[in-house]
Amino acid sequence: MFQGFPEIKEALMSNKMQAAFMVAPMAIALRAQGVPVKIVYLGHRYGSAVVVRKDGPIHRVSDLRGKIMAVPSRFSDERLIVFRALAANGMNAKKDLRMVEMAPPDVAGALAASAIDAFSMGEPYPSQAEIVGFGRVLFHARQYWPDYISCVLVVRQDVIDRRPEAVQVLVDGIARSGMWLDEKDRAKRHRLHAADFVGRFYYHQDPKLLRWALTNPIDRVKYEPLSPRRSDFETIVKLMVETGVLDHAIPFEEFVDTRFAEGAHAMTAWKYEAGDDRAK
Amino acid sequence: MRKLILAISAWIVAITAAHSVLNVNWQVLMNDRLPEANRKLNVAYIPVT
Repeated sequence: MFQGFPEIKEALMSNKMQAAFMVAPMAIALRAQGVPVKIVYLGHRYGSAVVVRKDGPIHRVSDLRGKIMAVPSRFSDERLIVFRALAANGMNAKKDLRMVEMAPPDVAGALAASAIDAFSMGEPYPSQAEIVGFGRVLFHARQYWPDYISCVLVVRQDVIDRRPEAVQVLVDGIARSGMWLDEKDRAKRHRLHAADFVGRFYYHQDPKLLRWALTNPIDRVKYEPLSPRRSDFETIVKLMVETGVLDHAIPFEEFVDTRFAEGAHAMTAWKYEAGDDRAK
Repeated sequence: MRKLILAISAWIVAITAAHSVLNVNWQVLMNDRLPEANRKLNVAYIPVT
């Protein structure tokens, strides 16, 4: 587990890590810089929000003018959604807002201490601000960006070339987990269970926080469809160029390898209920 | 003198053992030494959705 995206980028480039979940624009920027990696799948859809202080003066997007907003990276969808939301309200994020980069685990404390006025971040940090009581969601990403993407699965090209079967196993597992989390009629039960074991054994966070993030409401974060779609990424590339973090547009095929998502199409949800020995 | 050397040696052994149990991720070390085809992929993530 890492605490920030820049460290993940370094670990991937040095082959300490062979695959990584990272924000989509960072993966695209890496590829544009010639780093041999490809996006093979998505981590989730939605699950990002802009949060302001609960008792503060910001009640609508136009109130963000002149304020300080934290984002996880200049290469993040959380930054792009701010540009998009402000543009929809007749503003320009470059001129009307000061954006600072901050590691995701630090934003809640920074907002509580009034070091920033708002943050744009993925879950569970918006939930954390709501649960503790000092934060209020100004808007969720879905309000300005249908089918919004944040984290994607990136794999080193040498691993794709030499071990495609291992990459397929990884993508199949993520696809099955996503279907399990979104399974009709059982989604809430599965999400509560996932919040418990992911909170305790992987994220080392209070499971209460993940329970909130995964069920308030149930589609706050979605895990289907996770196949990388051309139109979604063309939107991201266009916004990256417009906002000055990418010199020129690069073609979809150059940074996405869709064969593993295609290979996972026939997958079904894990057969697993709390208390089972293992998933089948 | 002999007692002192024994005590220091015992201390070093105890500290080394504690460090190897508490701070060394043996699973990762062993995985990195397997043939590439048998190695588990290391997947990086941060605690966000």
